[in-house]
Amino acid sequence: MAFCTGCSLLCDDIVVDLDGGKIGKTMNLCRKGHAHYSSISSGRLTPSVDGSEVGVEDAMMAAAEVLAGADNPLLFGWGGSTLEAQRAGVDLAKKLGGAIDDPSSYSQGLITEKIIAGDLPTCTLDDVRNFADVSIYWGDDPSSSHPRHMSRFSYFPRGEKRQRGYEEDREAIVIDVRKSPTAQIAADGFFKITPGGDGAFIEALVASLAGKIPKVEDKKRMLNLGTKLRKAKFGAIFTGQGLAHSLRGDLSGFVSLVGKLSEITRFSVIPTLGDYNTRGFNQTLFDETGHVNSVTFKDGVRHGQEFSIARLLDSCDAVMVVGSDPAAALPAAIAKKLAKAVTVAIGSHRNMTTDFAKVSVPMAVAGIEAGGSCLRTDGVRVEFDGLVGSDHLSDVDIIKRIMEAV
Amino acid sequence: MISVMEVYQLLPKTNCKRCGLPTCMAFAVALISREKTIEDCTPLLEEAKYEKKLAGLRELLAPILSADATETGMVIHPEKCYGCGNCVVACPVNVASDPKGTAIGRGPVSGKAILMVEDGVVKCVNVDECRRFGPEKVLCNACIATCPSKAIEFI
Amino acid sequence: MAGGKELTVITFRGIFQEVEEARGMYSDGYRDQSAVVALDGGDMKEMGVEAGHPVHLETASGDVVVAAKLSEEAHPGVAFMPASPWSAQLLSGEVGEDGFLELKMFTVRASSGGGRVTSIEEIEAVIRAP
Repeated sequence: MAFCTGCSLLCDDIVVDLDGGKIGKTMNLCRKGHAHYSSISSGRLTPSVDGSEVGVEDAMMAAAEVLAGADNPLLFGWGGSTLEAQRAGVDLAKKLGGAIDDPSSYSQGLITEKIIAGDLPTCTLDDVRNFADVSIYWGDDPSSSHPRHMSRFSYFPRGEKRQRGYEEDREAIVIDVRKSPTAQIAADGFFKITPGGDGAFIEALVASLAGKIPKVEDKKRMLNLGTKLRKAKFGAIFTGQGLAHSLRGDLSGFVSLVGKLSEITRFSVIPTLGDYNTRGFNQTLFDETGHVNSVTFKDGVRHGQEFSIARLLDSCDAVMVVGSDPAAALPAAIAKKLAKAVTVAIGSHRNMTTDFAKVSVPMAVAGIEAGGSCLRTDGVRVEFDGLVGSDHLSDVDIIKRIMEAV
Repeated sequence: MISVMEVYQLLPKTNCKRCGLPTCMAFAVALISREKTIEDCTPLLEEAKYEKKLAGLRELLAPILSADATETGMVIHPEKCYGCGNCVVACPVNVASDPKGTAIGRGPVSGKAILMVEDGVVKCVNVDECRRFGPEKVLCNACIATCPSKAIEFI
Repeated sequence: MAGGKELTVITFRGIFQEVEEARGMYSDGYRDQSAVVALDGGDMKEMGVEAGHPVHLETASGDVVVAAKLSEEAHPGVAFMPASPWSAQLLSGEVGEDGFLELKMFTVRASSGGGRVTSIEEIEAVIRAP
């Protein structure tokens, strides 16, 4: 069985026909996973320094030189890296006295931190498959982002206590600003909210759970939802970018809602994280520092938004981006700062960040060309081997080589 | 869904019975259920005045006649498919015949699954096992109701 | 910012955009999936925009031309756009008083036309510009 790093579900039942070392027919890969597998043969990054192609060793030495010469380097990315590379990345940040951050600082970092710290109850996706009778997808559209979420874990499969199929045994609730493909499946379980209306929805749901009249248009429907959640035997809430951005960093209402639900019955929160090993990075950094992102090792360990990529690009003098494309995701004004910064990009494919980088170092695609380990979006550790041979170095080998040379 | 009336409008409407059926309306029904083929209507094929109707009918029935249409009338639109496997896991035939694979959300292991995902897109095999197939067919729609992108339809 | 219609844009990610991104973000396929804005039918009429036609989107931070798409749902005053380098050109990049970087929701001036859809190379050139 092969393994897919196309998203953070890390499907491990993939069958791949290897046709003379090349990827042939595949079974069980979703569309996104299939594209991920196909991508190994196109658009690959080549080693370069200042726009000229060089050998990979020279590129790594140039990267080390950039980092060694910096007073305030930022090491960013990591969601697309193995646990081993993340560990080496944290060590490199410590050695350099630099900052380290990942895209969770502008997405679901706070939610993940509360889960890892034990402030929000959680469970595994296997628990969800075996026991959950209510799945709530909140600002989350896994049908598009994690295509097998509903079929492998959260809605359609049979499980230990869920033997009768989704129509009788499970309920899907979707809270979103648009009728997403996931909402399409939930049909009557779709609650459409106004943009930024998550906080108001939380308040109304809390009222409904307490048996009070919720301040919403459709009071009856909200009361029914409250009753449904009260009666749940095992509830799961899957959080997405939509919820994280709508709550804007103030999770108090959400935490209190989950707390109220937990007083009544069992409810767990699992974030639906984008990159295959975002959870791994958040856990690795938390284990080291007590924080999931935005940490600097300059003058001891400090954490705060001022050490997130959005703020730190004003003051850092070198950036190393690993397996990520912040130049494409971040607002143009911030991308401009990144383009002007002295940047080292380590990645498998060409992207906007590598286009702007002074030094580019190509890496193997983990799970296909290299082995390693990582954490699934629910925190379950998964180990995997490479499937095909590759000329590319693994991410951990690159980081370690750079660290030796710094 | 192709309606009987749509098909009927493109037939000669002469009730000539040369196809073996009493009326053109009955022939329209038979075309949709694929008990008859366009070629069974000889006037439509032979008479020049039906040329436009014939072309229209071929276009209308193309999804039914394409290789994608399985014998149950299932049409998969691969360009819309997410490969999510919702249909694979929800399919009652898969659940019954593949309890350690598709029934619990994984890829098929028993060799008896009728829906599976290959190269990122769903495909239907062993079609005679589908509950919509054969004389005792039931109008199961598990694979349609669970699809996020309307990639499956029955015609 | 003069003229045009004010719309609240919400970003999202779609599977076919992710598929094209895996195939390579410098492809026409990635642009076709990313450089689009899904509009309410009534808003499209008011703006005189047809599906597939170019729409000019502008904020104080930047502007892009993307292709219009008709939403199946009605959502007057709101538009949906794939999160991509195109939508990123319209974000302010300012960190709010609550310390949060807005990436998901912003207000644009939208108007019909604007020529052809902005290319990713043009976006890179804007970002590189001093």
